[in-house]
Amino acid sequence: MIRFEHVGLRYGIGPEVLSDINFALEPGSFHFLTGPSGAGKTSLLSLMYLGRHPTRGLITMFGQNTGGLTRKQLVPLRQRIGVVFQDFRLLGHMSAFDNVALPLRIQGKSEKEIGNNVHELLEWVGLGDHMHVLPSTMSGGQQQRVAIARAVITRPRLLLADEPTGNLDDEIGYRLMNLFEQLNRMGTTILIATHDHALIEKFGHTKLILDGGGLTVEQSTHWLAKKIEGVF
Amino acid sequence: MRNPFKKDRMIGKARQKRQYDLPLNKSSGTGFLILLICLMTFLAMLALAASFALSAMTERWSSGLENKVTVEIPAEKPDGTIYAPENIKSQTARAYEVLSTHPSVVSAHVMTDEEIRDLVRPWLGEDLPLGKVPLPGLISVELNDSTLKTVKILETKLQDINEKARIDTHEEWLSHLLRFTGALQFAAALLTVIIGITTVTAVAGGVRSRMAVHNAEVELLHLMGASDNYISRQFQRHSLIMAFQGALGGIGIGGIALMTIGWISGEMGVSLLPDFTLGAVQIAMLAALPVLVALIATLTARQTVLKVLAQMP
Repeated sequence: MIRFEHVGLRYGIGPEVLSDINFALEPGSFHFLTGPSGAGKTSLLSLMYLGRHPTRGLITMFGQNTGGLTRKQLVPLRQRIGVVFQDFRLLGHMSAFDNVALPLRIQGKSEKEIGNNVHELLEWVGLGDHMHVLPSTMSGGQQQRVAIARAVITRPRLLLADEPTGNLDDEIGYRLMNLFEQLNRMGTTILIATHDHALIEKFGHTKLILDGGGLTVEQSTHWLAKKIEGVF
Repeated sequence: MRNPFKKDRMIGKARQKRQYDLPLNKSSGTGFLILLICLMTFLAMLALAASFALSAMTERWSSGLENKVTVEIPAEKPDGTIYAPENIKSQTARAYEVLSTHPSVVSAHVMTDEEIRDLVRPWLGEDLPLGKVPLPGLISVELNDSTLKTVKILETKLQDINEKARIDTHEEWLSHLLRFTGALQFAAALLTVIIGITTVTAVAGGVRSRMAVHNAEVELLHLMGASDNYISRQFQRHSLIMAFQGALGGIGIGGIALMTIGWISGEMGVSLLPDFTLGAVQIAMLAALPVLVALIATLTARQTVLKVLAQMP
């Protein structure tokens, strides 16, 4: 699904914020990306959602070397990725419905198909009564759910979420995690950037740990125990 | 699938009508750009109308004088003394006879004192004392061939009657006039080009400014997989509507101004200025100006957006 080989990233002439990154995400996998603040989690995510080019190294996504693709060829790759941004990035002048419908409109879907899918998904995330509400009048949790609905409406093959539970209380956070797990069981590859160790331990998926610009992969003992018990 | 969230209470509704993906219509400066395009269209309309009118005037002057010459029997003798008015009339009559019998002459008309007075009135005023000013004899002649050779032959025959008789083919003053109107037409065309460049620059600046203001939203669309064409269409549509609004206003004001100028020139009547009238094709071209302005604005917006987007990964 995604493979990083000796990837490095620097901003301008500054030092490398990411250095010699190597990892691979298999289709249908679930990973946490963690590390101290400023370790480069958001930068790594931006490389994964094709928001910037690496300074060096090779990134392969959906079987294609992204460095060898034109801007036009990157468009369909981006359409296979759903992103939940840390600050949601909802469009303030649009209702919840239109925010969630946006990726489908970009992909040129019919308004009938958009209507059906968006209604269903907003109902599913508990915002059925908030279809035509502007984000500015929603709570943080509601905005978060709109952002997630927008990220998954196209049924992306890869979902990237940056601190999706960062500003939420524990209960809402765990609900969202359950939502991600449901999506993962439906086949979506998921990577969640967080520094919430309790959350990581509770759900026990493979960790990608960023520190000092480098990355290590650590299988969770919780995950291994579950695997031994035959849960997976 | 089980709904993982409880339903929340209603907090207030947005309009259910679909919005722009980018809130460009709510950006500040839209009104200013519409006003600018309105003024530019107004000026372009005046410049084009002036160019059309000058072209029509030139055409009328040129075709009106084609194969037409004026024979002048001067009142002044070679020694500087003045002929008596009776002599002038007699010489003019003889010249008329010569002209009337020549095969190159289609028609000839001896101008009366009243006609001569009308000709010089704009320069000398109403109270011209005809008895005190020696007037030449003038014959308006239409030739079937106004080549230099024919004119020379006729002039030689006429100089047997009056040594200083001459034929004015109007070429000299007409060429000056044509050069002058040509310069005015060039200035009008140059002004139109400058107006066009100003409009393009203003629209491009406006689009760049909007892209800067909505950079986060543009980047979001880009990351969601929106193609450059999709994003540029947002700006194109906005620029098209804005330019059309401004251009319609400009052409409305321009139309009123042109009608006023036409009415004033009509009121001036006989004087030096010919009527300020435009043909149907020219009016149609002026009416198409908003479409042209909207097209220029749309293409400018597209090129500007694509140029900025090309800097994104």
